[in-house]
Amino acid sequence: MSEPEAGRRSAPGDGPGAELGVGIGWRAELDLSIERMPGVDFLEVVAENIRPADLPESLRLLRARGLPVIPHGVSLGIGGAEPPSPARLAHLAACAQALDSPLVSEHLAFVRGGGLEAGHLLPVPRTRESLRVITENVRRAQDALPVPLALENVAAIFGWPDDELTEAQFLAELVERTGVGLLIDVANLYTNQVNLGLSAVAALDALPLEHLAYVHVAGGYEHHGIWHDTHTTSAPQAVLDLLTELCSRAAPPGVLLEWDDEYPSDAALEGELSRIRGAMSLAREAG
Amino acid sequence: MTDGHDLSEAQLRPAEAQDLSEAQRRLAEAQDLSEAQRRLAEAQERVVAALVAGAAVPEGFDPERMRVQASSLVAKRRSVVARLRPDAAAAAGPDLVAEFAAYARSRSAPPPDYRTDADDFAAWLRERGRMPDPPRKPRWWSRFLP
Repeated sequence: MSEPEAGRRSAPGDGPGAELGVGIGWRAELDLSIERMPGVDFLEVVAENIRPADLPESLRLLRARGLPVIPHGVSLGIGGAEPPSPARLAHLAACAQALDSPLVSEHLAFVRGGGLEAGHLLPVPRTRESLRVITENVRRAQDALPVPLALENVAAIFGWPDDELTEAQFLAELVERTGVGLLIDVANLYTNQVNLGLSAVAALDALPLEHLAYVHVAGGYEHHGIWHDTHTTSAPQAVLDLLTELCSRAAPPGVLLEWDDEYPSDAALEGELSRIRGAMSLAREAG
Repeated sequence: MTDGHDLSEAQLRPAEAQDLSEAQRRLAEAQDLSEAQRRLAEAQERVVAALVAGAAVPEGFDPERMRVQASSLVAKRRSVVARLRPDAAAAAGPDLVAEFAAYARSRSAPPPDYRTDADDFAAWLRERGRMPDPPRKPRWWSRFLP
């Protein structure tokens, strides 16, 4: 895989560094809304929810309009002890091929252990030793995929007692060793700041943002002092401020809104996309 | 070795000695990696067992955080199950949170996939008389459903 050149403008298909614009996570429940929504430049689809041989009609239509679609995996568990499953990698590869995607994204997380499925993304122990294992997993995934891979930082509720690196440092090491792209979720940075006291701005300082593929924005809610990243509500201003902060350091190739349940009106979703554009342009004005 | 085929580095040409030490280095690296994989597997297995199968929280972890993470995983399961089996979610109605929590506690570990989880939850509700029996025969139009 060739290293993306920082700051290069390029067409979709070039991998991390490809210009994507502002997008939204495609969900079956939002198909008609997205088809008629102005100002959507690209999409992401949860890879586990589609069959590459039988794509949803709405996605085919949006692809035909030229919108890039990025398969976003949630169950690979690239941060697990076991090498990533060839079948799961083949599915991601088939999704990328069927959608002619510029890249594929997954999470720096593990999702199973000892034969049990956790059912969701869990933070990896960030030690030098686990870095070795996960570096090998990332290389295997890259070898199996026809397009570049980007990895996302996750929202954590707990930390490991033997952590030696921050998540940003861990991702930076993975980027250096494998050339993997970054999908930075500013809502997850915010979650970790609220829940674990980890500075989101310090994370932005430590991340190699020249390897940024795109950015996620989402809302959640606080319950008993813990932030739950639910993707079911409007992003809090603090998350949009982090987006501005990120954009003042590096122009992200793409920024994507995630909304997963309790879907609002089309107007509310369009409003969220406008807020995202506003937060991005604040950085340009300040810069 | 005593049969004259001793591969001590002194008897090898420099290039061969280099190849040998390169092979030894790679072997050592592979052994290190598999040892690291084994330790990571054990550590992750203990965490998953604590979060979804009621095992003890491993030493050094914040028990309260692990409890919140465990209930967050149950909430995630519940939302996916409700999407896969809207009939079960509707049958549980306003008691969905409590019913799903009781169902999740009733089994030692979650099933391997969400589809099974959703069907098991529906069956669990049915056993408790909270859900009508499924129709005996599929409706003629069901073949047109996705």
